Amino acid sequence: MLGKLDWSAIPFDQPIPLVAGAVVLVAILGVLIWVVVKGHLPYLWHEWITSVDHKRIGVMYILLASVMLLRGGSDAIMMRIQQAVAYQSQGYLPPEHYNQIFSAHGTIMIFFVAMPFVIGLMNLVVPLQLGVRDVAFPTLNSVGFWLTATGALLVNLSLVIGEFARTGWLAFPPLSGLSYSPGVGVDYYAWSLQISGVGTLVAGINLVTTVLKLRTKGMNYLRMPMFCWTTLASNLLIVAAFPILTATLAMLLLDRYLGFHFFTNEAGGNVMMFMNLIWAWGHPEVYILVLPAFGIFSEVVSTFSGKALFGYRSMVLATMAICVISFMVWLHHFFTMGAGPDVNAIFGIASMIIAIPTGVKIYNWLFTMYGGRIRFATPMLWSVGFMVTFIIGGLTGVLVAVPPADFMLHNSMFLVAHFHNVIIGGVLFGAFAGFEYWFPKAFGFRLDERWGKAAFWFTFLGFYVTFMPLYIAGMLGMTRRLQHYDVAAWRPWMIVAVFGMAVLSIGVICQIVQLVVSIRNREALRDRTGDPWDGRSLEWATSSPPPVFNFAFHPDVRGEDAYWDMKIRAQQQSLEHEEPEYHDIEMPKNSPTGFVCAFFATIMGFALIWHIWWMVILGGIGAFATFVVFAWRDHDEYVIPAAEVAAIDRVNLEERRSLVSMAGAI
Amino acid sequence: MSDQTHVHTGHDLAPGEEEQHSVGERILGYVVGLALALLLTATSFFIAGTDLVWQPSIPVALIVLAIAQMGVHLVFFLHITTGPDNTNNVLALAFGLLVVFLVVGGTVWIMSHLNQNMPPMDQIMPMRR
Repeated sequence: MLGKLDWSAIPFDQPIPLVAGAVVLVAILGVLIWVVVKGHLPYLWHEWITSVDHKRIGVMYILLASVMLLRGGSDAIMMRIQQAVAYQSQGYLPPEHYNQIFSAHGTIMIFFVAMPFVIGLMNLVVPLQLGVRDVAFPTLNSVGFWLTATGALLVNLSLVIGEFARTGWLAFPPLSGLSYSPGVGVDYYAWSLQISGVGTLVAGINLVTTVLKLRTKGMNYLRMPMFCWTTLASNLLIVAAFPILTATLAMLLLDRYLGFHFFTNEAGGNVMMFMNLIWAWGHPEVYILVLPAFGIFSEVVSTFSGKALFGYRSMVLATMAICVISFMVWLHHFFTMGAGPDVNAIFGIASMIIAIPTGVKIYNWLFTMYGGRIRFATPMLWSVGFMVTFIIGGLTGVLVAVPPADFMLHNSMFLVAHFHNVIIGGVLFGAFAGFEYWFPKAFGFRLDERWGKAAFWFTFLGFYVTFMPLYIAGMLGMTRRLQHYDVAAWRPWMIVAVFGMAVLSIGVICQIVQLVVSIRNREALRDRTGDPWDGRSLEWATSSPPPVFNFAFHPDVRGEDAYWDMKIRAQQQSLEHEEPEYHDIEMPKNSPTGFVCAFFATIMGFALIWHIWWMVILGGIGAFATFVVFAWRDHDEYVIPAAEVAAIDRVNLEERRSLVSMAGAI
Repeated sequence: MSDQTHVHTGHDLAPGEEEQHSVGERILGYVVGLALALLLTATSFFIAGTDLVWQPSIPVALIVLAIAQMGVHLVFFLHITTGPDNTNNVLALAFGLLVVFLVVGGTVWIMSHLNQNMPPMDQIMPMRR
């Protein structure tokens, strides 16, 4: 009846996951009860859960990423403490639990923190920057978000029901095969990634189509803001690379469920094929994450230097070059696994070449700042911090791209330090810069600068104190994923790293405090003009938060930096004050399709993990029926009458006129 | 690409979105496509079993026929053309082909070299002698 599921699945003998699970459960129940008692449920359902508005979906993506960041961060703290205490002892985490923690940490941080964070920012900003009212497929967008949430839910469920994979974040066979991982851990891993992978693919198709097909008047390709270009490149990579991940995990699941032999040691299987395929996805994935971050830094650096982006066209070229070359380097993740010098040399050289377009970008940002009037607001601090940190991470990356060096450093703590150096210094700093930069656009008030700056400095310094010692430990020969060790020379560096982790955690706490303080002082921090940073691209040309239709009129773009251009023209020509003629606007109706689909997908995923076959069929039929109902819908749009558009737009127009006339007076 | 990119009706059409053709012309297109596809399929099956041609050329012939089949599908069913209305579709196809070429070609190359640093036992033994 319940497949493999029985009471032994609940880890009653392990206090840590049980207590953590209980606390989270109580918190979730508390929030739910509060929502229901206060009567917020209808609001949440109509305005958020069923919303197909790209801005709301973007905010929900970022919320999911932030919550999961706390989960992945707690895993990180536990690992650092374990390695600080587990010198010539077992530490406080038993091996099977420690292995689950490092697997969950990697899986969560990449798939459920970094991915939703950048996809959320792209969703929120790109249609605004392109000057359009929505993304290409609004309901599909909502489906994509909820399927990602399903994956996150399943991963977290493994904390209290059953176990998570003990295989590392990429679940290499034969360790992840049935003979060495007979439990449900790898199944949790694989099914949650399969389900959220569908969500990511859908988001990628949606955003590629949006950039290619929906642009406002005059917004040709070479006038798009840099963030739109990096979004295009990143989503092209999603569309090209994620099917490889899905196919690879599907083969692993066939091995585990139906006795196939794709990646087994016997019957003609080849475990190296898994390694090859997963990294053919895995390396483009790195650029899927970091390209949008590069776009964010381009926007932030140009805005806060008060200058157009230096070398815009070279930046576009560099982005697209990275997009293609990222598919030519994947073997550098397994230099040591048997390939000869021809193969290793070619992939090593390709890996070094991909550093060139990235270097071009760094110089472009530096020259954008050169001679500019730089304002060191919080987003700019994150950007400068990124440049310094990312250069170090990039240099160690070029070092491990040299095959002989890689033979020494492969799977060492040096590698761990390197990829945290580029992912924290690149993706996470970028996500935080984007968060600080676009928060006023999403909610209509700025974030508190004092707490924001404190958060930056604690995170920045904490990062160095945590990860520089790991480089040294790697040089001293420490391998990654050690549950305990007996080498005295490594110990001091592990203790320094745990102090760094404490500083880093203060940074995260500052960020939470910043959010709370800003929400409490929101009236003082209110931005009425919609342009709090003196921005250059079209998202600042509408109110904050933007109305559901984004723009009352499609903006007319005449050059790069569209909104900057408009502001200059408005000052020179003294704004004409006659009332524009408003029209009705059609917008897509909200739809529960995404939520209902994800509900059935969750049931199906859970049932597949535990081999509860009747429930698999139930979930599958439910998800398909939801799709059919949506496909046969009659009306999917509603009309906002011209009078309502006018009423909403007039308020913002008035604020803007006063701003322009004030600027003119100075 | 051009300055007249509009919000809803751009120059660029999705596959199968032609407006100008009448129903008769479109049906004719599909019928021609079907006939060509069937012809190519039949030829493949015929060649695979025949001894009328030089045997080692058969795999090559099958590959050529398969590529021709893909071409027929792209032109008649997926409506990929060289017109200016089709730039995005052609670019997407090219990008897809490039990625498939890189991943499949790279995989074949990598997998055939994987044992270079660790030859199987039966190859090491003769080396020792």
